[in-house]
Amino acid sequence: MEIEEMLENLFKRMEEVPDYEKFFQCIQCGVCGGSCPYSTGTVFTPRRMVLAIRAGIVNEVIESFSHWLCSSCFTCSLRCPSRVPITDAVIPALRELSLLQGNPPEELASALISIARYGNPFKKSPRKRDDWTKEVEFEVPLMAKKKSAEVMFLTGCYGAYHSRCRKITKSLAKIMHMIGTDFAILGNEERCIGDLARLNGEFGLFEELAEKNIRTFSKYSFSKIVTHDAHAYNALIREYTKFGFGKEVLHHTQFLHKNLERLKEMFNSLDYTVTYHDSCYVGRRNGIYEEPREVIRSIPKLKFVEMKRNRENALCCGGGSGIWLDSVIKERVKYRPAESRVKEAFSVGADILVTACPLDVPMFEDALKVTDLEGKLEIMDISELVLNAIEG
Amino acid sequence: MKVCVLLRLVPDLVEELEISENEVVPFQYIPNERDEHAIEEAIVLKEKLKDVTLDVVGIADPDSADEIDEGLGFAAAKGADKLYKVILNRQTFSRVEIAKALADFLNDRGYSLILTGVQAIDSFAGSLGGALARFLNLPYIGGAVELNLNEKLYVKKELEGGISAEYRLPLPAVVGVLSAERPLSFVPFTKLRQAMKRAEIEEVELEVPKISGVELVRYETPPEPDVLMLEGDVEEVADRIVEVLRDISVI
Repeated sequence: MEIEEMLENLFKRMEEVPDYEKFFQCIQCGVCGGSCPYSTGTVFTPRRMVLAIRAGIVNEVIESFSHWLCSSCFTCSLRCPSRVPITDAVIPALRELSLLQGNPPEELASALISIARYGNPFKKSPRKRDDWTKEVEFEVPLMAKKKSAEVMFLTGCYGAYHSRCRKITKSLAKIMHMIGTDFAILGNEERCIGDLARLNGEFGLFEELAEKNIRTFSKYSFSKIVTHDAHAYNALIREYTKFGFGKEVLHHTQFLHKNLERLKEMFNSLDYTVTYHDSCYVGRRNGIYEEPREVIRSIPKLKFVEMKRNRENALCCGGGSGIWLDSVIKERVKYRPAESRVKEAFSVGADILVTACPLDVPMFEDALKVTDLEGKLEIMDISELVLNAIEG
Repeated sequence: MKVCVLLRLVPDLVEELEISENEVVPFQYIPNERDEHAIEEAIVLKEKLKDVTLDVVGIADPDSADEIDEGLGFAAAKGADKLYKVILNRQTFSRVEIAKALADFLNDRGYSLILTGVQAIDSFAGSLGGALARFLNLPYIGGAVELNLNEKLYVKKELEGGISAEYRLPLPAVVGVLSAERPLSFVPFTKLRQAMKRAEIEEVELEVPKISGVELVRYETPPEPDVLMLEGDVEEVADRIVEVLRDISVI
């Protein structure tokens, strides 16, 4: 692809993102590069990417691989004084150029092909999406049978297929069942929501998924969606609205908070010290900071401590759009944010690091193994902590 | 130079065949991975030589005729020039018979090189390429991992023990590709959709002839396993297990 064609494609794609024109207001201050968890391993920090695009040498950015060393943590975008949409516009548009050239990292290509073919990135059968329901002791209602429910519970791909994340899904389903929520799942009709495909520049696939999912949603009657998948939540409230979707969506931290009075009646005391990790697409991207903290603090006897980097300054787990790029990033950057994060949680005296995004849990549990913290620190999703408090 | 690649469909092993009393949920078909590598290698050859025209022939049965379109769309998005959808009218699954039908179709179309995947998951014998070459009276080599052309065709193969070898053969020829010399290139969804909209697929129905020579004598089901079901309460079953183990001299 010639440079002119690359630039034309890049700007055409960036123009679709709200506030795209702020790209031209970049003052080259470098706050983005200073905030990036991977800046030490990249030739082109976001500031330099903007400069290279302005200078018409976008091909050098693509060849440098720098655009793949981004976990879409949103820190640069939030801290940028000019509000340049780096995470939503610049990086995905650069990545799309690599996709159009046909040579994205292999691990990512395989995940994207699997999403297109099977509706999940794991190359798993769509017919097995609801297999987790066989592992709970009550019948999880299906939308196809029930037709109507107050809450449609979206599990997301990790929540449905990933062995560790399925435990989170089961915990949340169990809580809903215990507090009498009128809910149902899409089961095998659910497909990947697609936020990570979008952040990786696969816009065509994202559109296809959004259209398909919205068509499936429209078959049933429900008043809100609840999901523990932070990226699904983000896409549903920010991107699916562009395709005509308008229902209320709650992240599970918000759902638990809304039901806190009922939950408090069921809570037993827990003798733990816990800290809370603000997942990027719960906290920094979508401003949900206090609801999970209030839920945690309301558990009797539980001691809550903050890590130094909290709320909008929380360190990314490295998952985000990078979970499929993990091995690629590791080849280039020795530093892994998840390892730094579990050490930080341990240093404040926590027994448990509580999170609210399914990607965090496996990322942090892997980090425990290489930091010698296994057995000293436990990783839990907030729904698992809440279920622990209910079950005592 | 005209190059042709054959693209087959194979059952998708991600899906399991589900059989209940009321219905059989069919598995879906996906393009044969080795054939996708053959297409990729043809694209590499096209990039190297510039004057290559690439035809891709998708092979399907009437019940999978629509499913080949996506594979052909991918080929078009990567740079294939002409697409054919060949629908087989066949009585058996013999690769030799299919090779004969395809040979009749491909003959006299002026191809200098015909590529196929060396194998398919539903046909480990890898007989399609060789049989096709036999019917077309052309040389055949299988297991290619790189192709180059310099008056004659140079084919790189990986042999046992990490040894690789280069073979030379005259054109026209048939080659069975093991893998392309680079990973399969990625086709974004937008590009695929555009290619499928643009693509003109010529549909052809092929009668697959019966060929004598190799006859199927019989199908055999595996022998019934000697299974002994033990029933009763725990004590009874435990006693019976001890008895059985003694009988067969395990204890």
